[in-house]
Amino acid sequence: MRGTGSLLRLGLAMGALLVLVAAVGPTLAPYDPAAPVAPQLAEPMPPAAPFYLGTDDLGRDVLSRLLHGARISLLVGVVAMVVTMVIGTAIGLAAGYFGGGVDVVLMRVTDVMLAFPGLLLAVALVAVLRPSVWTIFVVIGLVSWTGVARVIRSEVLSLRERDFVLAARALGARHARILRRHVLVNVVPTIVVIAALSTSGTILLDAGLSFLGIGVPPPTPTWGRMIQEATAYYRVAPWLMLFPGAAVLYAVLTFNFIAYGLAGDGRAPGA
Amino acid sequence: MHPTLGHVCAAVAVACVMLLGGCTRDRLEWPKREPGSRRGGVLRLAAADDVPTLDPALGYDTRSWFFEQHLFETLVAYDDRAALVPALADRWEVSPDGRRYRFTLRPEPVFSDGTPLTASDAVGSIERVLEPRTRSQGAEYFRGIVGAPAFVDGSAAHVAGLRASEPGVVEIELAEPDPLFLHKLALLFAAVVPAERARQLGDDFTTQPIGSGPFVLREWRRGERIVLARNPRYHDPERPYLDGIVQQLGVNPELSWLMFESGELDVTGIPPADFPSVMRDPARAALTVHATALETMFVGLNCEMPPLDDRRVRQALNYAVNKADVITLLNGRGVEAHGIVPPNMPGYHVDLVGYPYDPTKARALLEEAGLRAGFATEIWTQGTDTDLKIAQKLQQDLTKIGVQLAIKSVAWASFLDAIRQPKTVPVFDLGWSADFPDPSNFLDVLFHTGGANNHPFYSNPAVDRLLEQARTVLDETARFRIDAEAERQIVDDAPIIFLYHPITYVMHDARVHDYAIHPFLPARVTDVWLTPEQSARSSG
Repeated sequence: MRGTGSLLRLGLAMGALLVLVAAVGPTLAPYDPAAPVAPQLAEPMPPAAPFYLGTDDLGRDVLSRLLHGARISLLVGVVAMVVTMVIGTAIGLAAGYFGGGVDVVLMRVTDVMLAFPGLLLAVALVAVLRPSVWTIFVVIGLVSWTGVARVIRSEVLSLRERDFVLAARALGARHARILRRHVLVNVVPTIVVIAALSTSGTILLDAGLSFLGIGVPPPTPTWGRMIQEATAYYRVAPWLMLFPGAAVLYAVLTFNFIAYGLAGDGRAPGA
Repeated sequence: MHPTLGHVCAAVAVACVMLLGGCTRDRLEWPKREPGSRRGGVLRLAAADDVPTLDPALGYDTRSWFFEQHLFETLVAYDDRAALVPALADRWEVSPDGRRYRFTLRPEPVFSDGTPLTASDAVGSIERVLEPRTRSQGAEYFRGIVGAPAFVDGSAAHVAGLRASEPGVVEIELAEPDPLFLHKLALLFAAVVPAERARQLGDDFTTQPIGSGPFVLREWRRGERIVLARNPRYHDPERPYLDGIVQQLGVNPELSWLMFESGELDVTGIPPADFPSVMRDPARAALTVHATALETMFVGLNCEMPPLDDRRVRQALNYAVNKADVITLLNGRGVEAHGIVPPNMPGYHVDLVGYPYDPTKARALLEEAGLRAGFATEIWTQGTDTDLKIAQKLQQDLTKIGVQLAIKSVAWASFLDAIRQPKTVPVFDLGWSADFPDPSNFLDVLFHTGGANNHPFYSNPAVDRLLEQARTVLDETARFRIDAEAERQIVDDAPIIFLYHPITYVMHDARVHDYAIHPFLPARVTDVWLTPEQSARSSG
């Protein structure tokens, strides 16, 4: 379909820019993102040269912080997505393929996890663990895998009844081989689409955790923390909130476009 | 719970209250104002948190004290600054050895319910605080009264050194002379309540408080609003001028400011974002009042944890922090700290220089301590906006001398828990405000070896000796000299980074007159009056 093809291309172009900024952004940043560089403290400066996106109350350059934050946000988004996909796929495959008792147990566990509001669970986990980048990866992965597991399971449920799977089984293939060579291979397209979609979810969740003050600890600039620190100033210095907010929006849109484009029919699976 | 989360919850709660407000909140009726009189009108306030208690035996926080000091009276009280003045007691005599006090009550005092207030009520109120089943944190202040230990352990029915010798006379005898005893009697723990009624009411006294203060409790809807009305039996026929005070609860500082700007509140704090523009506008700046608080903000350095066990390292950190910048970050709402005792405290040590900003000296001291390459440590903070701002500022300053400071935000309860554990928290961000205006309330409480609030685990026998010596010296000048010597040594040992003394700013509506804030007590509104013309506006 032409419409979704161009959506995919747009998404990929936006993604390429995002990856580029994350890769070389910190070297492009005009200032140290943690250092006070503005001539004044306490009063944020509006966007004007040489601070093209303004400065915050601690005298830091917003543009530099935004560029550094891109790497953290993308890193958290992608790594947490991988954690999410690994857990979700493993559980979905096992539940769908083996069925019966395994399915019942795994799906009830999934239901229990789904019953918790994700953000609340993440807050509780971060509170117990020590806040660091690694904690955030794991925590986001742990609260986000449920949707993936459900979609994968439903795909596998239909796949395992298909002729080629039955044939492989009749030929005496082991479960591991069938899962790898016949089932997993056939859910890869779905996995790719959900992965793209879940990346935008994890970026948003990371921003949410940072916003609540429990994300990656300062002085590491993250978009969510920048928004949080800006809330006190939103009436007198709206740019402090606007730019990181736009950055989160951009990143989320990017991965949504890619996911919807990949899905082909304009609708993401499981959505 | 995380403080930042608390804000979110509070905001949600406020939204709910506002949604429901329209239908559940019935209007309060107030008397009509007489033209040409200062009397009348209602002061509209707001606060984020509910009031913990209105029982003076239990309240130990500024929220409770704000209301308690309007509902109750103590024998002695403070004027607008830090001087002790008569309150319920007209006059008092102290014996030359400093152990016997005799207070004469003012003529015919009455409680707000009309019953007479007697010397036995004053005695009973202090006994109620001492009684173990009251579980009052104020009990420690009155243990020095003769017979108090026997009363506390149940072997005596009354405190022997506490007597209502005549209907209007209270006599108190102390086991040891205590230069701070009058200050302890000015604490709201010593507020005079109808002792027998209070005992009968037990836990209900907090919702049905009876006192002799300028106001009475009219309504308290938990988490929604608290309303005080004028006490018609108050001893001053003129005051209070106000008919009442309405305080809306669950209003965070941001919302409070917005409500003030739209004319729904009479008094508000000023958020950091709006402070500069307010002060630049002379008309609005004229409506602000401020006072330097008897409070010191500091960064504790655990003297038992290497490398902070080395005095030179602690001094280096003191020199490395640019205090002027820290105060700029707070919109200038602070005074640089040269020591621990705040500037408007009696006994303030004017000559103390402290640690001016000097990164070169800081680096030299680190090098002397063998830490040329710097070191890494961690600051624990509560994670409020201001705390994080200051922690990040420290991080910036310390990086310049090679010290890597990681930030760990912790909720208040776990924070307090952690800093009490030895060798757990290397660096922490804390403040201390005075309960009463005496240097010992900072020095002895914070720096005596093994003290419950000595969180840096500082210990210097020479300082301990001075602090113990000061405890019994009755002559103020002599005592302040000893305190000053102790403070000089403490500053030299640098168990904390001395940061600043906050200046509290409050803004009021143009119709509000004579609103003042106190250096160490919550604001008192007994003298406040409102311009009549505008009082026709809706109030609560």
